[in-house]
Amino acid sequence: MPLIEFQDFSFKYYGADFLALKKVNLTISEGEYVVITGPSGCGKTTLCRTINGLVPQFHRGYIAGNVLVDGKNTRDHTVAEMATIAGLVFQQPENQLVTLNVEKEIAFGPENLGVDPVEVRHRVEELISLLDLEHLRDKHPHEMSGGEQQRVAIASILALKPKIMVADEPTSNLDPKNAELILDIIAGLNKRDMTVILVEHRLDLVSKDASRIVLMNDGRIVADGTPRNILVKDLCQEIGVGVPKATLVYKSLKNRGIDLGSVPLTGEELATLVKEAS
Amino acid sequence: MSFLEVFQYTRQDSIIHRLDPRAKLFMAIVSAIVSLIFLEILPLLIILIILIPLLVAAKSLRRWLRSMKGLSILLVFILVFNTLLSPAPNPLNHSIALTLRLIALMTSFSLFFLTVHPDELSQALIQMRVRFEFAFAMSMAMRYVPTLAQEAYAIMDAQKARGVELDKGNPLKRIRNIVPIIVPLIIVSIRRALSIAESMESRGFGASPHRTYMNRLSFKKKDWVVVFISLLVLVLTIYIRLYIPLYVWSLPF
Ligand SMILES: Nc1ncnc2c1ncn2[C@@H]1O[C@H](COP(=O)(O)OP(=O)(O)OP(=O)(O)O)[C@@H](O)[C@H]1O
Ligand SMILES: [Mg+2]
Repeated sequence: MPLIEFQDFSFKYYGADFLALKKVNLTISEGEYVVITGPSGCGKTTLCRTINGLVPQFHRGYIAGNVLVDGKNTRDHTVAEMATIAGLVFQQPENQLVTLNVEKEIAFGPENLGVDPVEVRHRVEELISLLDLEHLRDKHPHEMSGGEQQRVAIASILALKPKIMVADEPTSNLDPKNAELILDIIAGLNKRDMTVILVEHRLDLVSKDASRIVLMNDGRIVADGTPRNILVKDLCQEIGVGVPKATLVYKSLKNRGIDLGSVPLTGEELATLVKEAS
Repeated sequence: MSFLEVFQYTRQDSIIHRLDPRAKLFMAIVSAIVSLIFLEILPLLIILIILIPLLVAAKSLRRWLRSMKGLSILLVFILVFNTLLSPAPNPLNHSIALTLRLIALMTSFSLFFLTVHPDELSQALIQMRVRFEFAFAMSMAMRYVPTLAQEAYAIMDAQKARGVELDKGNPLKRIRNIVPIIVPLIIVSIRRALSIAESMESRGFGASPHRTYMNRLSFKKKDWVVVFISLLVLVLTIYIRLYIPLYVWSLPF
């Protein structure tokens, strides 16, 4: 049984005059690492909100079709009920930290759901060591860097023990080094069997870990497949997706009649392929 | 505004910091009541003499002294004007007592706010039957004040860059100058509030009527001792006030 299933799902925000999602069909199984990408305003954030029920429970509007997450229809379940199934990490870290220190922040979710205090403490300690937050324990969010804030935000989501981690451009406000750190953490979660859905523009950083890329444009899914299949399509360049440099080199070589055999996603893969070919 | 520092939590590890906030609140209220009961120099001095060692125990004496220095102009002002204008029979005595009372009141509450972390305060309120939503709103205000201040500065810079002269002109014009700061600040804040609400909603805020708390406060023996002593002091001072005349101790002028 698929973990997430969009069935002809359309959505229009209340007061908007066009659909943000148009007849989306998408099936995601357990353990996948799906990267969603596409130009600004194409509906990526709306898709993320749909997975944990913020659409249609928090953001109201016109709906058609259904979304089933872990067998639950998001029309019939509150966001809180979905919280232990799908956790959402947002773009601005400072808006996700609502308490005065890291311990409280991580405890916030489980406490809200009435988890036993001993268990809450256990989860807090576990996540502090997993995400290396020990030195931040007593800090006010205002005293942390963006990367540190985002790590705390991820910890606070993981404290609810969700099956799915949805991250909406978690690195867009971070410098390259911190961005890589966050993406490594997310890839690490996927290796521990967590289903990951990540919205990201920097495909050069994520396509090596992703099992699948979903390309969106204007509220629709326009391409869906493995990174190597999707990134070589001309469509990617047409709608302006950040295709990795190595893949672009592969494409131009191919256009000039040099076939490297398989599609490289990173500079290293490209180097190996070139070495083999020559 | 440096005197406000005495009402700001300082991260320290001391006997006073480790007391239960509810015990400290009770102590602060008793000490404030006692300061209000008396308007004679001697008892007010005794209150201060008792409070100052507590400040030392809280490792906050220096901060308190610094704030008092910041406040000294105001205190001298109160002293001089009361002495000159007071209709009391011995005005200097009266105004010294007034000044001491102000210091004692401030010190009582500063001992509370200096040593109670905002998180502990909201937890104490919750355990005193205040609804979680209200206590949480208070701690969220603390959380977002610095963020909002930063945003206000950014907007000010942006408006200055566009040629708005914020600190020029007559008072009326200056007040009008606030508008290009306030309007964007409100808009930005509403947008931020929506995004914060989304994040809180996603983590089940307000979902369960049986919310749990990882760190519950519990009254220990030393907290009971503090409450007991405070109560004793309260009863004693009320007795003294009612049955023992104190005017004999006052200054004759
Ligand atoms: N709360 C809202 N109310 C009304 N319309 C909205 C709301 N949020 C988004 N929209 C609209 O829905 C459409 C899709 O927006 P969405 O935020 O999902 O795009 P996105 O792909 O995440 O874009 P970006 O890359 O800029 O984050 C946009 O046209 C946007 O203006
Ligand atoms: Mg978005």
